Amino acid sequence: MAWDWEFTINEVLPQLMEVVYITISATLVAYLVAMVWGLVLAFARRSQFRPLSVAAYWFVQFIRTTPPLVQLFFIFYVLPRYGIALTPFVAGVLGLGIHYSTFLSEVYRAGIESVPKGQWEAATALNFSPVQKWKTIILPQAIRPVIPVMGNYLIVMFKETPILSAITLVELLGKAQIIGSETFRYVEPITLVGIFFLIMSYGASLLFQRLEMRLDLSKK
Amino acid sequence: MSAEETQTATLEKEEETQGTEKKEEALPIVRYRKVSKSFGENQVLKEVDFDLMPGERVAIIGPSGSGKTTLARLLMTLEKPTSGTIEVDGRQLWHKEVKGKLVEANEKHLHEVRGDIGMVFQHFNLFPHMTILRNLTEAPVKVLGLSKEEARERAMGMLEKVGLTDKAKAYPANLSGGQQQRVAIARALVMRPKVMLFDEPTSALDPETVGEVLDVIKEIAAEGEMAMMLITHEMSFARDVSDRVAFFDEGCIQEQGPPSKLFVQPESERLQSFLSRFNLGEENSQ
Repeated sequence: MAWDWEFTINEVLPQLMEVVYITISATLVAYLVAMVWGLVLAFARRSQFRPLSVAAYWFVQFIRTTPPLVQLFFIFYVLPRYGIALTPFVAGVLGLGIHYSTFLSEVYRAGIESVPKGQWEAATALNFSPVQKWKTIILPQAIRPVIPVMGNYLIVMFKETPILSAITLVELLGKAQIIGSETFRYVEPITLVGIFFLIMSYGASLLFQRLEMRLDLSKK
Repeated sequence: MSAEETQTATLEKEEETQGTEKKEEALPIVRYRKVSKSFGENQVLKEVDFDLMPGERVAIIGPSGSGKTTLARLLMTLEKPTSGTIEVDGRQLWHKEVKGKLVEANEKHLHEVRGDIGMVFQHFNLFPHMTILRNLTEAPVKVLGLSKEEARERAMGMLEKVGLTDKAKAYPANLSGGQQQRVAIARALVMRPKVMLFDEPTSALDPETVGEVLDVIKEIAAEGEMAMMLITHEMSFARDVSDRVAFFDEGCIQEQGPPSKLFVQPESERLQSFLSRFNLGEENSQ
């Protein structure tokens, strides 16, 4: 089957454009969930209060070692039985966000552990409160070296968004599939989706590279 | 015990522990009582009694591993004593009085008392992600509640004192070790502590930058406003700036007194052999 430019530009592209924002917003919101919840998990893991740190440990282990699709099905199909009915978008960003939060929590942990002990001591000596210590001294230094890894997870998660079509959220790939099943032409929509992911992922990685360079202390 | 009795008891104790010290009417700003610290099996401090008077400059010397640094770290609340008490300006540091009993202090209490103490570390520990100026203004703004302008003014004044105003916008990584340590001193000073701790401030420096840091410390010491605890291996420096020298070994103060006596006529054999490792003989005969 030959590539049909007219079909591509007049039909596939506009229809895909309608759902691009879903893929992008799902990625960004899910990533926000992952960043925030990941930090919460990292703190819980470090807690002096044993039960909390143990609970966080097992939560991370459990979520990390089970497929995100199972977690999504659980949130979308099982939770409503217990009175928690979520829209596909909310269920999707929660599912993906929580799944990736477990990876990010480990990334944060590595970053936090890379901050030298002397920094904590200097912060204590200057009488910063525990919250100020984290906010102004420790986290800014902990995040910097792990920015490339965090960027990597954003891209991995972005590429994972097509699984959201499994819980009826029509994003790019889901839309392409619909176009294909309606027109019996799969080449153009699927190819466009691939190109779209390529452009976005590459763009995101360039952004993270620039961010990394801007924050690189050795270049100051 | 009434307040008066406490004071009398204190003064008696002072005469006991620091008989050579010139008598002052003020109460000690820092008071260690029977302070012990163990790391696992290893006891680094053994029931140490130690006083520091307001404005007094005490040099603490002794072999490595003798507990000197731990003494300072306990006061800066970086390490918790295994037993004993430390008082800062009449307040318990690691304890709180609740219904006449001493209970372990919480972070809030530590925060209140710790404000009187400042510390300069062996490895400077500047914040690498902040400019020099921000290293100096961050705590005054966030901890002392100064306005940005006030903090800036105070910081620039302090940078002038240590001779680094031109580095205000630089980052720590671009400074030499000596410059970094001068910034670290300025950073501790902007908090206006009553007691300053110097934990081997020149041990991590290249020999050629040691002098500039010692000069800055000498200048501050000459102002005589703060009490200073100088942990150092620089014997001639210790002799020049201190009012009193305390020799630490095996977790205890073995001997203390004014530098003119301690360096010239050390009593204990341990101190004699410790000092013999340093080339002080020539200077002592002056």
